[in-house]
Parts: sequence; C-alpha cells; structure tokens
Amino acid sequence: MLKKIKADFNLLAVLLIPIGIAVNFVGFQVAQILRLPIFLDTIGTILIGVIAGPWVALVAALITNSITAIFNPVYFPYVVTSMAIGVGAGLLSKYGMLSNIFKTIISGLVITAIAVVVSSPITVLFFGGATGNTSSAITATFLAMGQNIWGAVFSSAIITEIADKVVSVLLVYFVVKSISDRYLSKMKYGHLYMKKKNTKNSKKNDQAS
Amino acid sequence: MNQNPILSLHPLTKFYFALFITVSVIIVPNYIFAYAWFPVLMIIAAVAKVAKPFISFILKTLMILLVIVFLMQLFFYPGEDVIGSWWIFDLTHEGLMHGLSLTSRILAIGSAFILFFRIVDVKDFVKALEDIGMPPTGAYIVLSTLQIIPEMRRQSNTIMEAQKTRGVETDGSLIVRAKAFFPTLTPLILSSIASTEERAITLESRAFSAPGKKTSLHKLTKRPIDRVLPWVYIGIIIGLIIWRVFL
Repeated sequence: MLKKIKADFNLLAVLLIPIGIAVNFVGFQVAQILRLPIFLDTIGTILIGVIAGPWVALVAALITNSITAIFNPVYFPYVVTSMAIGVGAGLLSKYGMLSNIFKTIISGLVITAIAVVVSSPITVLFFGGATGNTSSAITATFLAMGQNIWGAVFSSAIITEIADKVVSVLLVYFVVKSISDRYLSKMKYGHLYMKKKNTKNSKKNDQAS
Repeated sequence: MNQNPILSLHPLTKFYFALFITVSVIIVPNYIFAYAWFPVLMIIAAVAKVAKPFISFILKTLMILLVIVFLMQLFFYPGEDVIGSWWIFDLTHEGLMHGLSLTSRILAIGSAFILFFRIVDVKDFVKALEDIGMPPTGAYIVLSTLQIIPEMRRQSNTIMEAQKTRGVETDGSLIVRAKAFFPTLTPLILSSIASTEERAITLESRAFSAPGKKTSLHKLTKRPIDRVLPWVYIGIIIGLIIWRVFL
C-alpha cells in the first residue's frame, strides 16, 4: 500500500503540486477580480486529483492550506475539507466519473456533498456557525427563521458550495480535455483522458520496443 | 547571527510554543485564561520588534471574524437565561458565555500562529521540518510553490488583458463576468503544466531524484535553550491536565 502511494509521487506529479496550489490561489484571485460570488479556490486540488490521483491531491491540499495559514491561520481547520475534496476528486476520476460532461456535473454534485459534510462541523465547532464570509449572512437568516444551528449551517453551505464546486469541476473537465496526450500519458489517470483510444495497444508497443 | 532573544530561537521552538498555546486553551475552559494569552503574545511581539505588523495583521484578519462569531453566539445560541433583547432577538447569558469562550480561543490560537509566522522565516521553518524527517521533496514543493504563486498571478493578469483585447468582456452582468473566468484560467493552467516538463529535465540534470543523502547549504543550529523549552511546555501541559482532571 505504502509503496503504491509512493509510486504516485513521480517527478512530474511532484512538479504538478506547486502548479495546482498556485492555480488554487490564482483561481480565487481571478474570481475576486471578476467579482464572482463564489470562491473557486479548489480548482488546482481537483485538477491534481483527477489526473495524478487522490494521494497527490491530498498533499497539494495540505500545502495549499498551510500556505494560506501564513497569511491567515484562523481558517486552517478547513484543511480537512480541502483534503477530502482532493481525495474525492481522485476517486471519482479513477471510476471514470469525469469521462463526459453529464457525469462531470454529477461529480461536481458529489464533491459539493463532500465539501458540505466535512466543512459544516468545522464551521459549527470551531467558529460557532459563522466565519464572516457571504454564507454567514445566509446562516444568520436561517437561524432567525428558527432553524437550529446545524440545519442553518448545512443549508447555507449547500447554497454557497454548489455553484462553486460544479463550476470548478467543469473547468477541470475542459482543461483536462485540452492537455496533450504526451503529458497525460505520464500521469496516473492520464490514460483515461487521452484522445487516442487505442491506448492499450500503444502501451504494449512501447514496452515491446 | 541574530542577537534578538526571540528571533534567534530555533524555528521548531517557536512552532511548539504556538502548539503549546493551542493545547493549553483547549485544556483550560476559562475564557479569561485564553484572553490572557493575548497580552503575553503582544509582549513577545514587542521584544521581537514585530509588534506593529503583528497588531495590524490581527486587526485586518481576526477582528471582523471575532465580532461576527461573538454576535452570532449572543443572538442565536440556545439558552434560557435572558439578559436583554434587541429588535426580535433575545440575548441570553449562555450565548454570552459561549461567545466569550469561543472568541477567546480563536483569538489565542489565531494570534499565536500569526505571531509565529511574523517571527519565523518560512525557509527556516521548512528546513527545520526537513531536519525532523520531512522528505526533501516536500521542502522543494513548499519553497517552489511560494515562488510560483506570484509568478502565476502576474501571468493571469497578462492573460486577462490579452483576452480583453480579443473581445472577452470582463465587465457587465454576472453571467458575462463568469464567462470570462474560463478563457483566463484555461490558458494559464495549460501553459503552467507544459512548463513542468522543462522543470523536470532541469531538476533531473541536477540529480534531483537520485537516491542518497542530500546536503544543504542552509544550516540551523539548536542552542541549549531550544532543547530545554519544549520540555518546559510539555511539563506545563501535563500540569494543566492533572489540574483539570483531579482538582
């Protein structure tokens, strides 16, 4: 098991990690510049999960949140959410859930569910339900309407996460479609997304030659 | 060599101190204890001559969060003992207490780590982690990420400007702005991914993944105080646990 995980971390996968982390930050920044109401700060993690596997994505998520912690350590507990998203994206990719656009949207919903289930307890237990972003206002509205704290945090998390994660996964789907076969062939799950469909034969040929 | 008594400590000694504060406020439920850490951290920041950035950082990042968390608890925490009311909300004693204990902990832990990153150089910290067993590849990932982020930020601005000249609109309704997101990010990701292959060749030519011990130009020294202090933290933590369980 450990050896298998170590094999995931080949040099190209390792070099993909800084790129993925930077994409997380830049995605967030571009979303801010365009004044979009969503964060889009896990695109890099999802991308790594989809082409390099769940374990590499887990490490990328851990480092992303550690670097965020340099600037604002308060949100570090959400590292668990990012890691779950990375692993989730990796597993969805493994079972071919990003092979067409319809499945990709389903994957986006699954990742939303993961994000909500993992982040809501953190929001309630560490911050008492509000962290000062847009979803806090929604949470407060639900609470004022008489919902209990768990219901309010869950509902507001679903509302804010669903667009965020579905858009992120769709973007990853389109990006992966445009990555060259040459690069994909070196990634763990790359063969699932290569345009040449006779991959098995070409692999055999490679080994033979 | 740095002569400042705080700054010259080993990075791990500083890191364990932040962890020590975290554990201590979890063990001791009293909010006065957790709030009391803040002046202590201020004194440490003053000695390390980072008081000004430390405080401005806390005002910028922590204050809003603390106010929101506190108000949420005050208004919405379920409780019986009503101490006042405002508009349609009842303020309860339980909410006040929960708000105080939650914010005191966020303040103590948050400011401990904010201070940690003011008094430690990330490069030193990564090296220290490497010394206690993190693989050198991990150190490379962290440090190269810190370099790549500003680089890619610049690149994303360039791409956005370029797309604007092509006629991609970045102003207007939400849908129009959302549509601009894809043509900005896709080329950025694809070009960055392509660059990793070149980087791989460069690193390989310098024996990056060759087995064997790696030597480092950057060395950290541990002084006697760096060996003693972690044990002092552990001692105090054990003392606090005993106090909590038996008294």
